[in-house]
Amino acid sequence: MSERIIEFRDALREAMTQEMHRDPRVFLLGEEVAQYDGAYKVSRGMLEEFGPRRIIDTPISESGFAGMAIGAAMLGLRPIVEFMSWSFSLVAADPILNNAPKMLYMSGGQFGCPIVIRGNDGAGGQLGSTHSWCVEGMFSNVPGLKMAIPAFPDDAKGMLATAIRDDDPVFFLESERLLAMKGHVPEGDHYVPFGKAVVRRPGTDVTLVSFGRPVHFCLDAAEELAKEGISCEVIDGRTIRPLDIDTIVQSVRKTNGCVVVDQSWSFGSPGSEVAAQVHAHCFDDLDNHVMRVHSSDVPSPYAANLEQEFLPNARRIAEAVRSALYVA
Amino acid sequence: MSITLTMPRLSDTMEQGTIIRWNIKEGQEVLSGAIVADIETDKATMEMQAYDDGIVAKILVGEGTQVPVGTPIAMIAEEGEDPQSIASSDGEGQKSTAATTPAPGPASIETPIPPVATSDTTAQVAPETTSVGRRKISPVARRLAEEHAIDVSALTGSGPGGRIVKRDVLAAVETASANVAGAAGDVLPVQIPTVATAPAQTLMSTTTPMVQHVPALESTEVPVSGMRQTIARRLVESKSTIPHYQVKMRFSMDTLMELRKSLNEKLAAEGVKLSVNDFIVRACALSMAEHPMFNASWAGDRILIHGRVNVGVAISLPEERGGGLVVASIRDANLKSLRMISAESKHLATKARDKGLATEEMSDSTFTISNLGMFGVDDFTAIINPPNSAILACGAALEQPVVRDHQLAVGWEMSATLSLDHRVIDGAMAARYLGTLKGMIEEPMRLLA
Repeated sequence: MSERIIEFRDALREAMTQEMHRDPRVFLLGEEVAQYDGAYKVSRGMLEEFGPRRIIDTPISESGFAGMAIGAAMLGLRPIVEFMSWSFSLVAADPILNNAPKMLYMSGGQFGCPIVIRGNDGAGGQLGSTHSWCVEGMFSNVPGLKMAIPAFPDDAKGMLATAIRDDDPVFFLESERLLAMKGHVPEGDHYVPFGKAVVRRPGTDVTLVSFGRPVHFCLDAAEELAKEGISCEVIDGRTIRPLDIDTIVQSVRKTNGCVVVDQSWSFGSPGSEVAAQVHAHCFDDLDNHVMRVHSSDVPSPYAANLEQEFLPNARRIAEAVRSALYVA
Repeated sequence: MSITLTMPRLSDTMEQGTIIRWNIKEGQEVLSGAIVADIETDKATMEMQAYDDGIVAKILVGEGTQVPVGTPIAMIAEEGEDPQSIASSDGEGQKSTAATTPAPGPASIETPIPPVATSDTTAQVAPETTSVGRRKISPVARRLAEEHAIDVSALTGSGPGGRIVKRDVLAAVETASANVAGAAGDVLPVQIPTVATAPAQTLMSTTTPMVQHVPALESTEVPVSGMRQTIARRLVESKSTIPHYQVKMRFSMDTLMELRKSLNEKLAAEGVKLSVNDFIVRACALSMAEHPMFNASWAGDRILIHGRVNVGVAISLPEERGGGLVVASIRDANLKSLRMISAESKHLATKARDKGLATEEMSDSTFTISNLGMFGVDDFTAIINPPNSAILACGAALEQPVVRDHQLAVGWEMSATLSLDHRVIDGAMAARYLGTLKGMIEEPMRLLA
């Protein structure tokens, strides 16, 4: 078995090309995805490979092309919509929230909506408040959609391939900060099932639960805390909807402590949902209430130092862990 | 919204407070400005005021319990609120302790909810833990305690607000198993689980039973009050950082005892009753004029000589108030007459023993006197009360065989032992100070001027 090391962005492209070869109904559309090879070079070479009928440059009109893709999905195609940033999905709120996730329900099962909407989510690094949205807080609130948020290159490929094959609308949240991350990615067909969290680091004293980029903050914090003799179990939730509460509960029953790390704002967030579910399932197993580390409750700052402090960084996670374990 | 009273921060350094006495009861009306409780801080016992009107819905922390600043201690229902619903909404598992009498009015016509019968083991354990409000314990700690049959009421919680957490129960489990293994005939702080009693009994039975000639004393633990912690901290600091030494002298008390008797007889009608200690306070204070180094503090690179003479007087507190001692400060004692010193000493001692002194009544002493004469102690030594440089330990004025004018006679004598900070005061200086003091005590008319 060769250890094939590629970038996160290449893993995403592999998933799309793999599925496009497998299924002629799959196509990609978005701003600059074709001739420019994608604003972040995720779709590099795909125009050449699949031609302009399947790799489609769109006008700068998220509402328009998202709505068009949803219509195509309703009538049997399997579109992949690339938003340059999930921040730009806000102008397409009506089609992506009011149409896609509700279509199967509202049409009494006549129309599904097998669409994948993907793009960068969260702080990209000094992009300012309007371009640094973490949409998981708002969008995971909506029933009918799935939400996947990979943290490692192999998951990027496996989860995107699963997303494309899924019959429900999948909101696929990538991070600009992870696109250049390299890692082992299996060649050929690779699918990571939804609703299966993975333990990234085993531990005994406290369970850290996170999704996407902050999983790395958790691993950094765990490394630091290990020097203090605190053993953290780090769980990468992988998908927010469906949420693999079982893996989390299993871990918390072992450690008796839980810190949820979520890059969205704290109020009404995946973090608060996980905390509530852990409290419900693990009440008698907890030695302290579930602690949460989120982005600070302010619009995301532009200044580099403030942005770092705003994020649920390793230092803030370590503080929460110490507090959860009564060693603060 | 109901009002939650929390442990107030009554001094800059206060982190914990103990409710000494509640002046309110559940169901009672309180008005803004009323003194609801006496709170013991690390320094003093102070009064806690209500800032709102309302009905006491629930007292959350019992008398004698120490909690961190900010901990909720009572709930007050505001006008139009039902105190009972506030009391019962306050956290799970409290119904057994919420012994509120039903208030007259609409609440009483409602059908009372019958207690829910349950076979849940937690429900059976709960009522015993709650003489002073609900014992705070994390869920997993509660579960572990049940599994290992640990009596949580015997545990000290190390979590916030004394919450018993996992590590506290695990430590108790460890202690329990260590005690079983060692088969010590000691009182165990925890109960051994039923499943473990078989080997435990076997071990116990092999040891020789203790013959009970005398009533056995019970091993127990006593929680450390804020005051006891302060005493411990300050005295360890004093004894371990100040180079202490002692110089002792005996004073003839014949004249002083005579003068005191005569003054007390003449002034009895005015309510004046001078103690021996009042004379000593005045004598020590007046001696400072000649010996300023005894009214000074070591400050590392210099010595601070104080311009005012504030004589601290150690006052022991009654056992029923938790014991301990405080040092009351008699300010400007060198400028006060004997009767002023006497009146002030009495007032401070009574207040200290009844309700505690305010911080300002205990601060700024420049020299301290500790007197165990009233207990019949002959002589003893004391630990310096920082930032003082000296403390005088006085024994009892006793009738002794003495030599007066080359004749053996019976006379009143008192021993006085100075403990000194050698960084500030050398031996010869101490001797000279005691000499001055001796002069004043033995010619006490000088103390009247």
